[in-house]
Amino acid sequence: MSILSQLNSPVLYLICGGIILFVALVCVLFLVRAYRAGLAIGMDKTKMKRTITSSATFAVLPSVGILLGVIALSGSLGTPWPWLRLSVIGALHYETSVADAAAQAVGIGHLSGAAMTAKAFSTIALLMSVCIMWGMIFATIFTKKYTKKLGSGSSDGEKKSGIAGFGDMAMTAMFIGLISAYIGSYLGDFISNGGLFSFGGSWLPLAVVAVSALAMAGFLWLKEKKKMDWVDNFSIAGSMLVGMVAAIFLGKL
Amino acid sequence: MEDKKQTYFEKYDKTTHLLGRVVSIITLALLLGAPFAIGGYLGAMPDLGAVAKGFLSIGIVWMVSSIAEYLIYTPMLGAGGSYLAFITGNLINMKIPCAMNAKDLVGAKSGTKENEIISTLSIATASLVTILVLALGVALLIPLQPILQSPTLQPAFDSVVPALFGAMAYKYFRGHMKIAVYPLVFMSILFMLLPSLVANTSMMIIPSGALAIFVAYRLYKKESETKE
Repeated sequence: MSILSQLNSPVLYLICGGIILFVALVCVLFLVRAYRAGLAIGMDKTKMKRTITSSATFAVLPSVGILLGVIALSGSLGTPWPWLRLSVIGALHYETSVADAAAQAVGIGHLSGAAMTAKAFSTIALLMSVCIMWGMIFATIFTKKYTKKLGSGSSDGEKKSGIAGFGDMAMTAMFIGLISAYIGSYLGDFISNGGLFSFGGSWLPLAVVAVSALAMAGFLWLKEKKKMDWVDNFSIAGSMLVGMVAAIFLGKL
Repeated sequence: MEDKKQTYFEKYDKTTHLLGRVVSIITLALLLGAPFAIGGYLGAMPDLGAVAKGFLSIGIVWMVSSIAEYLIYTPMLGAGGSYLAFITGNLINMKIPCAMNAKDLVGAKSGTKENEIISTLSIATASLVTILVLALGVALLIPLQPILQSPTLQPAFDSVVPALFGAMAYKYFRGHMKIAVYPLVFMSILFMLLPSLVANTSMMIIPSGALAIFVAYRLYKKESETKE
């Protein structure tokens, strides 16, 4: 039996599928608890349902992108392990790079199905888990104290003043910083990849950013000017879809 | 009535921490145990020496990055959302934008009870959708593979993250251009002058975010002073 057949065996599906099922049940538990708590503290049912609908539609396209990560890794690590890693704790941008670095650390060179051995696989799998588990460890140890210090769950954020009252704006600013870092990286890559100001990098990510931003402008216009409030739930997913479709055509230029 | 709601929420919050910790520990044990279980089945246990060596060479970077992620994202997500997000992963490319979008849609303020509930609902739903899509995708892997991996569609799937940030950029920048212009210009110039930093974009979120918060605070102070 080849190593890839072993890595795709029912036993591995059972091990990985069992863990995924556990995490899915945890998500259901948190979802139901939060919904009930929302009702108990007098939150509007419509707002909570809207949150669930918009989050579900929001998550579909990135999830398909994540599925591609599973497919990309399945050629060297089999399907069950990447399936587990990208369903639980993993991150699309992390798994491939760490798996490749882990392959080098165990001495099989780059990640490849041909070079994979059973020992290399179990070592890579453990290394991937050890490298990414820290967020969960910090959450377990510090979240209670950290959120208490931040004043999470207070009655009304607007009643606060000074630095505490600035909290909401700070979170928006942090998110703006996050988006700026990514857009800046696309611009920097396009202009200076292959030499300073050589314009040798790909312009496609920048074009996709522009197209999906335009699509979002369209959705917001429909919402604000045409009073089509319902489009708001699908505006992110819809804009992403427009941007991704544009990438197919722009990629051919 | 308000007291009753407050008591209920405090109890909910306490149980969230207890549950969050218990399920995080169980998930951690399962994730660390799985390579040994698989190793037992394959007849080849992990080489712990190589794991230690690999961790020192690549793991440290991710550990530092995890500390930064934890400190930055926990205030955005609240308690329930944080426990779930750190268990299910894919923070930057999905959970954070998803929770911010939900918060924005219903007009919840950071640090409030409402935000705690909305964030947990959002992360739990997004995680379940990912689990479902991946499970379906894995079940249909053979028939779906030619479609998903077709060279025609490849640019679309390679563009998920730019498409996401393009849409989010319009939504967030238009109301906060005075804040956005500084990190955007600064990060663009930085990446142009030091293109090697592109490989570490996730780490560059820290200075970019810090700059945006600094600018936002200056504006906030100025507005407060004007009101007074």
